[in-house]
Amino acid sequence: MKAMSRILYLTALGLGLAGCVTSGPESAATDVEPVAARGSHYAAQLSKAVPAPDGGLQAVRVAGKGALLDPFAKEWDGVKPVTVAMQPQVVATPNQPNPAVTELSVRSLHNGHWLGVLLEWKDGSKSDRLVVDRFGDQVAVELPVIYRADSAPNPMMGAPGERVNIIQWRAAFQADLERKRELSIKDNYPNAASDLYPDQVLKTLDLRSYMGAAGVDNPVAKHRESPVLDQVAEGFGTLTTKPHQEADGRGVWKNGVWRVVITTPMSADGANAPRLIPGDHTVVAFAVWEGAAQEVGARKSWSDWVPLKLAR
Amino acid sequence: MPKVYNWQIGRDMEYLYDEARPKKQFAMVMDTNKCIACQTCTVACKTTWTSSRGQEYMFWNNVETKPYGFYPLGWDVNILDKLGVQDIDGPVYKGKTIFEAAPAGDRMLGYLPDDLDYAHPNLSEDDSVGSMTQGAFMQVPHMQWMHYLPRICNHCTYPACVGACPRQSAYKRPEDGIVLIDQMRCRGYRECVRGCPYKKPFFNSITRVSEKCVGCYPAVEEGRQTQCTITCIGKIRLQGFITTPQQANEDNPLDYIIHFAKVARPLYPQLGLEPNVYYIPPIHVPPAYLKQLFGADVASAIAAYRKAADDKKLLGALLLFGATADIIHRFKVTDQFAIGYNEKGDELVRVPFREPIFLRPAFDEAYQSVRSNIT
Ligand code: SF4
Ligand code: SF4
Repeated sequence: MKAMSRILYLTALGLGLAGCVTSGPESAATDVEPVAARGSHYAAQLSKAVPAPDGGLQAVRVAGKGALLDPFAKEWDGVKPVTVAMQPQVVATPNQPNPAVTELSVRSLHNGHWLGVLLEWKDGSKSDRLVVDRFGDQVAVELPVIYRADSAPNPMMGAPGERVNIIQWRAAFQADLERKRELSIKDNYPNAASDLYPDQVLKTLDLRSYMGAAGVDNPVAKHRESPVLDQVAEGFGTLTTKPHQEADGRGVWKNGVWRVVITTPMSADGANAPRLIPGDHTVVAFAVWEGAAQEVGARKSWSDWVPLKLAR
Repeated sequence: MPKVYNWQIGRDMEYLYDEARPKKQFAMVMDTNKCIACQTCTVACKTTWTSSRGQEYMFWNNVETKPYGFYPLGWDVNILDKLGVQDIDGPVYKGKTIFEAAPAGDRMLGYLPDDLDYAHPNLSEDDSVGSMTQGAFMQVPHMQWMHYLPRICNHCTYPACVGACPRQSAYKRPEDGIVLIDQMRCRGYRECVRGCPYKKPFFNSITRVSEKCVGCYPAVEEGRQTQCTITCIGKIRLQGFITTPQQANEDNPLDYIIHFAKVARPLYPQLGLEPNVYYIPPIHVPPAYLKQLFGADVASAIAAYRKAADDKKLLGALLLFGATADIIHRFKVTDQFAIGYNEKGDELVRVPFREPIFLRPAFDEAYQSVRSNIT
């Protein structure tokens, strides 16, 4: 792990990128080793890898004021996709040194009220059934809550005092949405037989202690009305679901490609939402998990910050 | 990685966090010689804790027939195979623990079972290692053998599940050493399922997070032993608290059995977790196999158990198994009784070394009738 940090460090220097290389954030997880380089290097490094106009993504302005939820809306056709290189997360353990997804195709739109990010990547298998050895496809968009051009937060899930907003779409939640009813054991195991469950004989109040994660309202344990989790983080192991879920999204898997839109309101809700103002610059980063390769949690590929300009 | 001391392997070893022993450590002793694989414990656990949606396949307590029974399939042979041949001789373990054998990018050596590995919870029930040839007669150790292995979570001193979780959702309680998965914090990454060599965390496919044996913590908090212990038909279990060999107290029945009489051994101590469920090894099983299961001292544990009749204190401690539902913190033996006390020092139970004998004549004078069953 130390060696890998050093490689990142040397790469940044080798590319002749100026700036302060500081030691990384203290993470909540005591075993996380310091991150050797900070966001600004990555942004610069990445602008080489992504030959996009003006060195990043442009959120093109469109009419309307609602959430940008349709991954096949015709407005996307007018936006040129940018290819974002994805690299293995190797700073923290556990990790997957050879993740399945190495690039994302990204587009962005906004209507002054909502920002939309369209993500596409090749995935030969749709993974949305979760049983012990099966993991779901997932993708996430990360935005700094506070962005200053001279010091972007750490792109690796932020750092104490450098809060980031991470909006994660999950194929399993998308499946909830399409199923339109509670997940049942027969969805996971069609031939399963069961007799009596506590919820068939007990009142809701008495039931909670029998329901595990669902009984304590764990956001991943209940039937989802939205396929995304709107979260904040300040470093590894600190990812926390926001009390008010504002972001939303939709995903469609077709012909071996996931096409997922993630959308978030542009009106800031204080400490947990990014400042998104037409005409401004910020940065955005991505993470992706290939369920069929058992990628989950820290076993993922992620990108550096990509500059994002919001059209006036 | 920080260095911690693991007394079961007699040396320092690497772990994810610094050594932090709880105020009290939950522990259990099981006498495998008395287990009849009736699965009452399994059902007691199931009806108490895992009757909900997504828990259908879960057995936080299970009883398997060794050597061919597993739940999930091949759990122990798989991790032993991955760890490779290790030197387990001697009081100091010279091989690698799963933490020391961590592949690059991982926190420990582990593996994720296949979903189908959970399909047959009592596979190989009562299968022995071979069939008897013509003219064979029983010898000890048996030439064809099997034994029962009841299993719960070991509430390890160095839990792999806790070390594996990048969100720190799995944690060890400082008050009693019980290891839990925070049901609010868990996001279902299954690192604990992958990391725990005993495969005692389970993924719930309906709530989409992991769950594990909770050591019946609401009962333990009230001074009551776990459900699997108090319902055990064979009275093979004693649940209480254990201390380290340095702090061992011979009046604590678990300490006495484990640290003084040394008749009970942990399961796969070489993996390095310092598990806190201790087994009195099955005396009829070949020592070579038992050594792999329970470590180098297994032969002396069996020898001591065979001589239990000479050690009245040990006999007294063994009599307390299944004698009360309450947790016994201290015990004492008198001429006639083994007496168990709770944490405050109140007497909980008094078990006679010799049961009183009642003779029931074949003819019942009061009813003027002959008893057909006089046992
Ligand atoms: S209840 Fe006791 S005797 Fe029966 S299987 Fe469980 S541990 Fe063995
Ligand atoms: S047996 Fe497994 S689940 Fe239980 S504490 Fe040890 S590592 Fe964790």
